[in-house]
Formats: sequence, structure tokens, C-alpha cells
Amino acid sequence: MDPEIIFDHSWQDEFISRIDSDGPWANWEVYKLAFHAEEEKRIPTFEGLMAPEHLPHVSFLPHQIETAQTVIEKMHGKAILADEVGLGKTIEAGLIIKEYMIRGLAKKILILVPASLVLQWATELNSKFYIPAVPQRKSYVWEQCDVVISSIDTAKREPHRSLILKQDYDFIIIDEAHKLKNSKTKNYEFVQSLKKKFCLLLTATPIQNRLSEIFYLVSLLKPGYLGNAETFTKNYRSGKTKVKNEEKLKALVNQVMVRNRREDTGLNWPKRVIESIEIPLSDQERDLYDSLITLRNKLNIKGFSLITLQREACSSREAVYVTLNHMRKKFDNPAFNEIIDPLFDKINAIEGQSKANKALDLIKKINDKVIIFTEYRATQLYLQWFLQQHGVSSVPFRGGFKRSKKDWMRTLFQNNAQVLIATEAGGEGLNLQFCNHIINYDLPWNPMRIEQRIGRIHRLGQKNDVHIYNFATKGTIEDHILKLLYNKIHLFENVIGELDDILTRLNLRDLDKQVLTIFEESESAGEIQIKLDNISSVINSEKDLLKEEMQNEASGDS
Amino acid sequence: MKQAAIHDYLYHYFKSNNCDILENHHSQLKVKLTVDLDKLLMNRPFYWHYIEKINQKPETAILTFKTDPNDEGEGEFIHFGSPRLHQIFQSAQQLAPFIRLFHSVPTLEKKSIALKPWLGLNIKISYQCDVKKDRILSLGLQLINGALIDQFQSLLENLPLTPKIPDYCYTLQPLIRPLSGVRRIESYLVKMLNSETHDWANDAIRRWKHDLNLLDQFYDEEEKPETYHSEKEALKAQYEPKIHVQLINGGLFYLHDSAFSK
Repeated sequence: MDPEIIFDHSWQDEFISRIDSDGPWANWEVYKLAFHAEEEKRIPTFEGLMAPEHLPHVSFLPHQIETAQTVIEKMHGKAILADEVGLGKTIEAGLIIKEYMIRGLAKKILILVPASLVLQWATELNSKFYIPAVPQRKSYVWEQCDVVISSIDTAKREPHRSLILKQDYDFIIIDEAHKLKNSKTKNYEFVQSLKKKFCLLLTATPIQNRLSEIFYLVSLLKPGYLGNAETFTKNYRSGKTKVKNEEKLKALVNQVMVRNRREDTGLNWPKRVIESIEIPLSDQERDLYDSLITLRNKLNIKGFSLITLQREACSSREAVYVTLNHMRKKFDNPAFNEIIDPLFDKINAIEGQSKANKALDLIKKINDKVIIFTEYRATQLYLQWFLQQHGVSSVPFRGGFKRSKKDWMRTLFQNNAQVLIATEAGGEGLNLQFCNHIINYDLPWNPMRIEQRIGRIHRLGQKNDVHIYNFATKGTIEDHILKLLYNKIHLFENVIGELDDILTRLNLRDLDKQVLTIFEESESAGEIQIKLDNISSVINSEKDLLKEEMQNEASGDS
Repeated sequence: MKQAAIHDYLYHYFKSNNCDILENHHSQLKVKLTVDLDKLLMNRPFYWHYIEKINQKPETAILTFKTDPNDEGEGEFIHFGSPRLHQIFQSAQQLAPFIRLFHSVPTLEKKSIALKPWLGLNIKISYQCDVKKDRILSLGLQLINGALIDQFQSLLENLPLTPKIPDYCYTLQPLIRPLSGVRRIESYLVKMLNSETHDWANDAIRRWKHDLNLLDQFYDEEEKPETYHSEKEALKAQYEPKIHVQLINGGLFYLHDSAFSK
């Protein structure tokens, strides 16, 4: 079959009318220049990338170029980009968008990202790629702008939804696509209803292991590629969670997914230098901590509150004060108050906090930019005040800040302040690679949060070794977590993304809840130890297994 | 496109559009725009509306470009990906869609010389499915005997040409009207394109059918939902092979036979 030939005739009337009225005629020099411009812009081959030549100020890494080429030439513009965190998925997406725009294959482009990342995407696409991408703010943007960035939550709501469905999009890009794993959600249904000529789904979470998730994600991209729900279950599921025909499934998925791993990129990643710092409690701090433990016998508070109080006491007296105060207001009865009130005295008795003093020493010794992560707002506020008292400049950072405030704080930190005190990993996409020291002032119980923290600085663009300081107050719950769990599973040395792989395979993504249960239900320190040991050995053996598999895969390829 | 070539291009562009060249060193180019170019490039309709309303003398913009990234001096760094360069590329086409020129034949004796009419079309052909490539053709059709030649533009660029008919020259009347000439060129292109082997298109169709097949299996119910139809449309948009033929620019050229003698 011969392809259809489409002539553009729109110029002919004008040409004839100029002949009839003897002009106006072009200047010969400009006429030549117009022709030579087209010669320069000509796309000589189906294969290869034109975009890098258009973007001489960006130095792309080999794996990014290769990814763009694979997506366009082998996957025909429909792919899941699942690189490990920090390898530059946004850059890859930008490169692919740019290439399609240069070739004139994509004009109307819709980019759906988490609300907190809209502006960051816009900045990156505009400044790095000269793609005039517009953050959606007004509903007329859908019709008037060719490249629009929005959050799914906005896009799926009226009046936006109908306007979007009316547009004829050439290219749909969805960041953090793993959030679309549930086919019953409004978000999924919305994305499914979009016409997807070219489509990229970006996710940092490897998905090979959650069977239904991979099915639904691939089915968004290429419906039918893995069969329909029924045949998929029949072909690949055995029992409730197990996979069968795994090799075949993997091979299929790899045809629509690019996943670059750190170790495959051939780049020299900066080292991680990990230091655990044990901090002895002062007598007053110890007194407070111990009396919190005795609450267990005196009060029938549910375990969660008790353990929260203990964890808070490890962080700062301010943190524990806030919660106690809250409890007192809530329960407010004489019997309760009688038990609680002495605790306030103990809090007041604390002079100078051991952890804060240690942090101050360390910051002065480092004499460079430092990020402090804490779980608690109260600790954050205290630290800010405390550092200021000692002449150290700091800026706060919270996940709840508006994007513009986040950007402002990041800039302040980069240019004016020595310390950034953050309560959240700052959400996805925060790049702080100009800093290479992190203090984990207290430790989250979800190890993925630790990975996210480290991922803020241990990423592309980090030129120095990364130093991670883990604070643990001696003889406390925090100490247990660090020594009995985190150090045993080598959490801080892990390649980013690896732990997620492992926990997913083990169906242990709610590890923090498991740990909490252990602390709540164990009768003795010995029992806690045994149970934590069990968890860490399960994780470690899965890790060995994963390594072995990857080695087999690698040797099988060559 | 090399940086030096870009500099050259910009220089010729502004020069031939009658802008004042204020500076022109190895990397730097400083120009004062004409009113026409200011309107075309600077995107400030309100300024022009205002100035024209109050009948003021306009102050056109001065632009400074640099083509060497290491140049510390002022100016907008221009490279092949710069939106500004592409704006200029596009404006060149807007400014010069159609032309008429005469062969400026050197004459020794005062004898009248006949110039023959040619229709010249510069054409871009795009082969498009989920990938794309372009081909540029420059065709010249003699409007008396219907002779058709390729690479017409480069032939023209080596001739002395002038917008006014030179002394002692006269033009022969075309037997083929310009619009018929355009049709002849089109049918030539159709024949040419149909005689090519289109492996790229056949491959795309194979991919298209494959994905369609998957889609039909996914929505195996009788009553297909709306998403089925939109996915189907998307596959068509993605894979359907097409060849687009567009005009870059074109014109009438009156040439002496000596143009073809070498």
C-alpha cells in the first residue's frame, strides 16, 4: 500500500494573485536565506537524535541519550521510564519531548505531574530545553497553549477535564506514574480516557514485582499488550501473589520499559561515608525518658502514644512537650493529670540538650553546608532557635511549604545559610546536591524515608563524597532501631532504590508498622532484639538473592 | 549549523532586510531593527499600536547577538537551538514566499536577448509515521517546453539575477500557465513518490496492525467503550504513514539559455 500523499495547496491562490498584480516580490537575499533555513532544519534520517545539537549547553549522559533513542526508535514513543532515583528521568523525558517537537511529530503536549513539581518542570523545560511549557493556572490555557503542565488532581476535575478531552494531544507525559497503580481510581480512569499517541510514564519505583500494578500501568500505555485482566491472571499469576512465567513477563515488560540502574551507567558515583554517633543522655534527660517508660504501667494509654512519646523524647524536650500538652488537654482529669504533671517538671528540669549540643559541635567542625533532618516540627523550631543563639544561620524546610517557598528556602540555603533544617524529605524532586553533609537528627521508622533523605544529595551532580551522620541517644528505642535494624541491613550504604526492590519482593513495604508492633508487643528488650534480628536476616537474605539474580541476568546477556 | 555559519546567516539576514549593522566582530553582531523587522521579531503590538495612534516617531529595538559561548561581552548567545534563531528562520520564510527575477545577461552588442520563463518551486517532502524524515527538492519547470530540472535553486544561486528586466532583454510568453505548471510539478512528484519503495511505511503499518490487534483483544466485549475508540484513533495518529508536501518558497525566473550551457 502506498502511503497517502498530502499536498499543501494553501499558498497557490496567493502566488497566482501576486503574478497577476505583479508583486510584491521578495528580496532575493532573503529568499535564499529562507531556503537555507529549511535546509538547515531538514531532518535527514528517521533514526538518531536531532535534539542534542539544539541543546549545546546541556551535557547529556550516555544513558540518557541511549534511553531517548530507545524510546523513540524501538518503543515508538510509548514507554515507561523507570530509572533509579537520581539518574535524570526528567532530563530523559525533556530530551524525548524536544526530539518529537523538532521533528514536528508532537505539538500539543500535556504533562501531568504532582502539584508540588509543576513549577520545577516548567522551569526545567523552559530553561534547559527551550520548550515553552506553561503551568496550568487558568482554564483557557488548555486551548491556547501547546505545552501545558498540570497536576492530575486539577486536570481530572471539571471544567478542566472536559476541556482536556477536547484537545487533540500528540504527547502525554505522566510523572510519578506509580500512583496510577489502582485501576479503580478516578486518576486512573482519567488517564485511561486520554488519547495517547505518544506517552511516557515516569516512575522511580520498580514495578516488576507487583503483578497487578505492572499490568495496569502497561495497559494504560498499550492496552492489550499484556492481554486483558483475565488472560493476564491466567498466564502470569499463581496463587495470591506469586508470579509464574516470570521470564516471559519480564521480557515483555522490558520491551516497553527502560530502567537504568546506577551501576550500569558507568558513572563514578560519590562515596557515602556513614558515621553513627551515640549520644549519652544527661541525667535529667535520662530521668524524663525513663519516667515515660513507667507510664506504661501507670496509665492505660495505647501503645502508640507511649512509643511516640519515647521517640519524641529522643529528639527534643520540645517535641515531647507538645504531645504531652496535647494529651493533657484531651483527657484533662485529676487522675490523669496527677501522673502527667510531674513529667512537665522533668521537662523543665532539662538544661541544655545533649543532641543539640552535639549537632552544634559537628556543624562547626564540618564548617560547610549541612542538612538536618528531624521527624518533628517542635524539634525543628527549637533547633532553629538554638543554632541562631550560637551564631549559626539556618533555614527551615517542610513538605507543606508552597512550591515558591520551597524554591526560596532552597536558594537561601544555597546562598546565605549554613544549615537547612527539614522535617520532610521535602517531597519528590528536591535537589540539594550542592550540599554533601546530612545529619539524621532522629530516625524515621520507615527506611524508605531515609533513602529519600539521602537521595536529596546523593544524586547526579553531586561532586563530593556524601557524609551521613546518624544520631542515636544511648540506651533508647532509637539506639535499638539503629543498631539492631538499620546498621544490620546496611541501610545507609544501600544503593538508592535497592531497598524498595527488596521490601516489595518481601511484601514488607509497611516495615515501619511491623517495627512498631514489635516494640508495642514485646515483653522484654531480648524479645525486641530477636524479632528485629529476624527481620534483618530476612531482608539480608533477600538482598543476596536479588544480587545473585542480577548477576545471572547480566551474565546471561553477554 | 556551525557557529560561524550562524553569524554569517544573521549578518546577511539583517543586512538584506535593511537594518543598520552597528557592530560586527568575530562573535558579536549588533543591529538596529527596521520598523518592519521590529514588528515581526519583537512581539510588542501594544507599543506599535500606541506609537502609531499618537503619531510619534518610533524607536526601534537594537539587538546584540554573540555566537561564541566564551565571549564575555554582552548580547544574546545564539546557537542552533536558540528560539531566536528559529524565529528568524521562520520570519525569513514569511518575508520571502514568492519572487520574480530576471537573468542579468552580460551583453556585448546592443542586440536584444530573449529570456525564457521558468517556474521554480522549493519543496519540502516529509515522510511521516511514528518517525519522520525530510527531503528537500528544488524543481524548475520551463514554461514553454515543459522541461523539468532538479537542483534549480543552486543553479539560480550561481547566476546574476535582478528584480528588474535588464536593458536589451525581452521575455517570451509562457505556453504553460503558472498554475498548470504547479499541477505538472505535483503530478511529477506523485509519480516520483509512488515509484519509491516505502519500507518505512510498510513497517509502520505492520506495527499499527499489531497494536490494533492487541487493542481488540483487550476490549473483547461486543459494546466497545469510548476508550477503545480513542485508543484506536491514537494508533492511527501514531502509525499511519503519510507523505506531506509543502512549499518552502517559489517564483518566476526569466532565464537566458546560456544559464544551462555549462
